[in-house]
Amino acid sequence: MSAPDRVTINRLPTGVPGLDEIVGGGLPEFSFNIIAGAPGSGKTTLAHQFVFANATPERPALYFTVLGESAIKMLRYQQQYTFFDPAKLPASIRFVNLSQIVLEKDLGAVLEEITKEVEKANPAVVVVDSFRTMVRKPQSDMDLQSFIQRLALFLASWQATTFLIGEYAEDELRDNPIFTVADGLFWLRQAAERNSVVRKLQIIKMRGQDSVPGLHTFRITDAGLQAFSRTFGLIGHLKNPPGHRRLSFGIAELDKMLGGGVREGDSVLVAGSSGTGKSVLATQFIAEGIRHGEPGIVAVFEERPQAYAERANSLGLDLETPQKDGKLAVLYLRPLDLSVDETMHSILDAVQKIGAKRLVIDSLAGFEMALSPGFRADFRESLYRMIFALTGIGVTILSTVEVDESFTEFPFSTYSISFLCDDIIRLRYVSIDGELRKIMVVIKMRGGNHAKDIREYEITYKGVVILGKRLTHYQGLITGIPVHSDGPDPMPEPSQEPGTGNKR
Amino acid sequence: MTAPPEMRDLAQRLLNYEADAGKTSEPAESATLRVYEKLRQGLGEFAGVAGFQSLASRALALARLEAPSLSAARVTADGSLQGLGALEHQIDIDKDRAGAYSAGEGGMILITRLLGLLLIFLGEALTLSLLRVSWPAAALDDSNSENGRKA
Repeated sequence: MSAPDRVTINRLPTGVPGLDEIVGGGLPEFSFNIIAGAPGSGKTTLAHQFVFANATPERPALYFTVLGESAIKMLRYQQQYTFFDPAKLPASIRFVNLSQIVLEKDLGAVLEEITKEVEKANPAVVVVDSFRTMVRKPQSDMDLQSFIQRLALFLASWQATTFLIGEYAEDELRDNPIFTVADGLFWLRQAAERNSVVRKLQIIKMRGQDSVPGLHTFRITDAGLQAFSRTFGLIGHLKNPPGHRRLSFGIAELDKMLGGGVREGDSVLVAGSSGTGKSVLATQFIAEGIRHGEPGIVAVFEERPQAYAERANSLGLDLETPQKDGKLAVLYLRPLDLSVDETMHSILDAVQKIGAKRLVIDSLAGFEMALSPGFRADFRESLYRMIFALTGIGVTILSTVEVDESFTEFPFSTYSISFLCDDIIRLRYVSIDGELRKIMVVIKMRGGNHAKDIREYEITYKGVVILGKRLTHYQGLITGIPVHSDGPDPMPEPSQEPGTGNKR
Repeated sequence: MTAPPEMRDLAQRLLNYEADAGKTSEPAESATLRVYEKLRQGLGEFAGVAGFQSLASRALALARLEAPSLSAARVTADGSLQGLGALEHQIDIDKDRAGAYSAGEGGMILITRLLGLLLIFLGEALTLSLLRVSWPAAALDDSNSENGRKA
């Protein structure tokens, strides 16, 4: 069959921000879906969002409630959500209680009642909440399976998109014949991780279209569920071609060290211990972008936006005006229990809103601390996805990371994330002439040559200022305790192992 | 604990509406029972028989505090109302006189309490939405009353 002959399956909005992308563009019309999960996992709220997003007076929604939560209380609580529009009741949404039939009769009578109501209302959407509570008497799974098969057949014929809601534990997922009937199976989970709760959803199956696999974080707020795709909604976006442009830091000497600047679309890691000027460098990077008409975003985790802007101001960098002009967004992402996906959502919103080309994450340590403990275990993997997704749409990322200063090692990061970064700039303290001075070195540039120089720098009222030429009279600079060389130029490359020169 | 005046107004309007309707159809049934039955059908559909029965029982208990004459009334297991006959008979007699319902406010108090519970649990918007299933907007509109709700 040629492509034009194939039936077109309409996709309905789920009413849940972020979920349409996860299910593959919306829920297939006339599909028969099961929402499974433990009590309190958000099943009813998800169904309500779908109902309110799709029900119309012409094609209403029928919401059958069975045993369990009192219908009055359910509406009492559900109407607290902003998506709940009381005006849609009863013309567009009708709630029908089946408790009495379930209590007094059998599944056949329940099916008969549903059939009667559906034929009367001609609904576009049907929800049965919760279908599992209908099996009160000891019955085999086949009874329920038979009921569901007949229900699925009937509702599909009547052109209704259906949700059955059921309480299921994790171990009931496997080999459950009930689930074979469903076109779509949504699994909602919530797990306590130390003092935090992490909510995740999974599309176990979705017939007829590609859903995004894996576990996706979701949150329940006063607006209902909000889902955060693992792929950050960036599926289908092309990776930006190898950057031809070089982005300046606004520090001429550093740009030279970087071979002309950072490649557009690179991920840059600035690593150093506390006070070495990582944030200053990051601020200069953003400010220089704005000077060149490249909007930027700064995601801060360790200080408030106002303090960040004031500190920049003390360096002669005005971050207030570009914020007012919509050229800069400073995101303060501090609340605990964040997931990387939620953070990404905030950043992506800002990227799209202001067309950001540069992003600073200051710092990765703060980012990690802002995450729920449950997400910290996946921090590196999440970071990988985030960086890959953002650089894929042409955003150049500069992340700062604090490293413990060691006088025997030269670590780039405590997170072992250097493989995620195209470029690494290392800042560190060094003890010279009884002073604690600062040196900078470009460790890595994936996209080309860079200077191997070790340069001394200072932080002045102008920001990071690189001093003089490379330090040629010391060996072992990267250890932090260099040895002075007496010869005229005994150290052609500063990265060589320390020699036997005398200590100064 | 007294019911909000706007619920009393609303109950009064529903009773008036059903009293008028009762003149042309099913005249033997009292206005209170007609309102109650419509509420039972409408609310029972989404709250279930047991859900409505428990709500009505609570409303009756509250109403009895204001109108001891309701002591004979009771809500049955299926949510229907019994024992209101004598009281309603009095209302039907009184309604043709000046100062309608002055002699038998028990029924109105019961309806007021039932609507009041809906207001407490569901809020005004949703309560009115549900009432619209059983009554036309005109019956719910109190734009001419002192409380001024628009249905």
